[in-house]
Amino acid sequence: MKAQAPTVASAAPANRAPFDAGRLAYLTLNGLLLLFLLAPIAIVLIFALNPTPYISFPPVGVSLRWFQKFFATPEFTNALTLSLWIAGCVLVLSVVIGGACALALARGNLPGRGWLTAFFMSPLMLPAILTGLALFQSFLLSGVGRPVWGLILAHTLVAVPYVIRTTLAVLHNFDHRIEEAAAVLGASPVRVFFEVTLPLIRPGVFAGGVFAFIVSFDQFPVSLFLVVPKGETLPVVLFNYMKFDLDGAIAAASMVSILLALSVVLVLERLIGLKAYVKL
Amino acid sequence: MISRRTALRIGAGVAAAGALGAPAILHAQTKTLKITTWGGKWGEIMKATVLPAFEKEFKCTVQADQAFPYVPKLQASPKNDPLYDVLHTNSNEQWNCVVEGLVMDRITPKEVPNVADVYPYAVSDKIVGVSIFTSAIGLGYRTDKGLAKPTSWKDLADPKLAGVRGSYIIPVNSLGQCHLMMLGKIYGKGLQDLDAAYKALEQLKPIKLVDFTGQMEKLLLSGEVSEAVIHDSGIYRYDGQNQPIDFASPSEGVMALEQVLNVTPGSKVKELAFAYIDYMLRPDVQKLLAEGVWYSPSNKKVKLGPKYDEKLLTTEAKVATLIQPDWKWYNARKEDIDARVTKILKG
Amino acid sequence: MPSVAASRPTPIAWLLAPALLLFVLFFVLPFGVMVLMSVYSGNPVTNPNAFLTTRHYERFLFDTAGIFHDALWATLRIGLITTVVSLLIGYPLAHWMARMQSRVGHALVLMAVIAPMLTGIVVRTFAWMTLLQDKGVINTLLLQWGLISRPLPLMYNEFGTVVALVHIYVPFMVLTLTGVIGRIDERLEQAARSLGAGRLRAFAEVTLPLSLPGILAGSLLVFALSISAYVTPSLMGGTDVLTLPMLIAQQVGTSFNPNFAGALGVILLIVSLAIVVAYNHILARLSGERGLA
Repeated sequence: MKAQAPTVASAAPANRAPFDAGRLAYLTLNGLLLLFLLAPIAIVLIFALNPTPYISFPPVGVSLRWFQKFFATPEFTNALTLSLWIAGCVLVLSVVIGGACALALARGNLPGRGWLTAFFMSPLMLPAILTGLALFQSFLLSGVGRPVWGLILAHTLVAVPYVIRTTLAVLHNFDHRIEEAAAVLGASPVRVFFEVTLPLIRPGVFAGGVFAFIVSFDQFPVSLFLVVPKGETLPVVLFNYMKFDLDGAIAAASMVSILLALSVVLVLERLIGLKAYVKL
Repeated sequence: MISRRTALRIGAGVAAAGALGAPAILHAQTKTLKITTWGGKWGEIMKATVLPAFEKEFKCTVQADQAFPYVPKLQASPKNDPLYDVLHTNSNEQWNCVVEGLVMDRITPKEVPNVADVYPYAVSDKIVGVSIFTSAIGLGYRTDKGLAKPTSWKDLADPKLAGVRGSYIIPVNSLGQCHLMMLGKIYGKGLQDLDAAYKALEQLKPIKLVDFTGQMEKLLLSGEVSEAVIHDSGIYRYDGQNQPIDFASPSEGVMALEQVLNVTPGSKVKELAFAYIDYMLRPDVQKLLAEGVWYSPSNKKVKLGPKYDEKLLTTEAKVATLIQPDWKWYNARKEDIDARVTKILKG
Repeated sequence: MPSVAASRPTPIAWLLAPALLLFVLFFVLPFGVMVLMSVYSGNPVTNPNAFLTTRHYERFLFDTAGIFHDALWATLRIGLITTVVSLLIGYPLAHWMARMQSRVGHALVLMAVIAPMLTGIVVRTFAWMTLLQDKGVINTLLLQWGLISRPLPLMYNEFGTVVALVHIYVPFMVLTLTGVIGRIDERLEQAARSLGAGRLRAFAEVTLPLSLPGILAGSLLVFALSISAYVTPSLMGGTDVLTLPMLIAQQVGTSFNPNFAGALGVILLIVSLAIVVAYNHILARLSGERGLA
């Protein structure tokens, strides 16, 4: 699935030697790095298609039985649906909350910006098992129990730092003069915000949104404490399945997750876009 | 637009019906039993067969938590409204719990009638709660590496096995903890001779250590290790798949890995909880699960199929080979042991 | 950061409110519970005999067991190595992706970059076991080609842990960087080229400095993540690796000592926050000194 090296016709200044050793090295390097990223996934795919009921290498054949088992097991499919739905909610919530926060941090002229930024990054630095346990205890103490919205908000807490981080990174390189120009030309601040600022920080928001979705979808330690019977997310179900059974079903689950999540990311890319298309 | 009189009449009628129907509604409220259960094949059998049958017979709903670990969650929940009514876990964790008052100390035939039919080990003084199944911790080995079938725990220290022997990360895995204690027994004065155990552990390096038995199974299956500490269930579950692995019960005895059920003192449905344990000890339920996951049933009256009967511990004599460690003693020292073995095994 | 004349917060600062509310309710309060637990001998809510004590912190500071300080250093060391390697791997990929014209190619590379994040903790470990262990794919190939005579120890040690962590975190690095690099006007680089600079020099003196905020943001993110990781190091490191998060997980999940775990968590958080604040100062300084072209 590795992308083939783009043709030489891609963006490059004119006046170049016909054989471009530098570009070749660049592409080879990137190719190897992609290989590094994709090799384990290829292995997972092999496991998922391997008919033997334990994870082995080299594979003995190709079979769809693990995918069949996955889709035939309500436990898996329910968990998958729940995880997708929660991740969707988390995506929306964290983009809005995190994006707003990043703007406030970058433009709001707040005292102690550095400390505030560090504060908002803290959930990332605390081992999630502690966050999960602490939330669990707090939920029980306050009598809230373990509702789904609690799980969603807990995931949001863990996802927001990513959105803040990526949006801040894009805001740093921001040319204010574009906004000033728009204002000078008569646009109201609100309009400047929606029609100039927001489109320009899209890559940061997109990256953050992707993170939020994936982090929530793949989130394990916090979910461990906050899920209830029959309301478990996919990573929790898979982890506990795997502790007691070692067959290709979890590999199939993994492949299905990858494909589904990738589709979501593609849709996001179409909608928000990683590449900024507005350039002076 | 209904006239006010009609509305009042209808309202009165509804209220009367409600009053008459109320007792019926109250009775219809089913009790909920909160339990824990393993995943994998065990979980499949429970969810497909065992639990629905229990729910039907006892007219209740069962909420089964599969998100391990359970004890931290139970610990964090209030004692008078515990997160679980029945806790299913291994002996070592049950002992951690009883010390904190999270589970009951003894379960007698008075609360659970079927307890009268279990082997002595299932309610020995080394158990809190009652064991419903057990596995034997011994040595798993590859049959295609020219190794003789191990006859002693000491065979693991064979120099030929350097770098291809396996055990567990002791702080997190009870099989690893059992192995450590066993080292004390075979090289020292007994299960509690930690000095001898530490020395023996040092001699076992280089050794591959993993987190849980599933990883060990993979190591054995891929040939990464040729001999390893593992429970019989981990080997026998591949029965019929022609794998070059087998299980050996060392002559010094096998350690017990019990599946223990216990009830929380603060449970609001104690009767139901005891009924559940009783249910899990019924011979037909025991047979179903034992043959599904290759566990040895604790009920003496269970008759397994021949191939299971041959390999599992189903007679008094076989069960007598089980060694049960003193978990209360071990847990009290766990922090020191963990630190010590981490230092020994690092690098 | 352009200097601002006004010293008072602007109205935009109010946008902080939702995040602050979320954090106060879902982070500060629970974290407060954890800090409270760390100074008690037991759980004060369920155990009437629990008393205040500093023994958990003392246990870490005096480290009579001899493993706690090592765990802290191991955590920071692995975090640093993972961050640097992720950066070295992530930057070229991010640059390639940001500069790619073809929409399809861009989408494909994006998917390839994100896929590692989605494999799931457990399966990923088994995949690495298949690749890295003594009888794994890499060792088997190297042995076959006669490049080595004995299997290389690629797993159940720090090397295997770093490889697995890098694999998970490179996507975070790439996605953070690619947005920033994408925003750098290519014509700046082209201008430098037309003035006679070679490609490498144009990159080093124009693109790289402009992408610094992205580099620092990405490194910060990966560093924070890798010092709090415990599942992957547990599964990949054998006993060779013991980090503070792994200790915390052990204390919670098998020693059932949430109080000591809480103390360790507080210590880890304080150390990490100190590093993050320092990082942020550097970030502010560096991107402040380099205004836009």
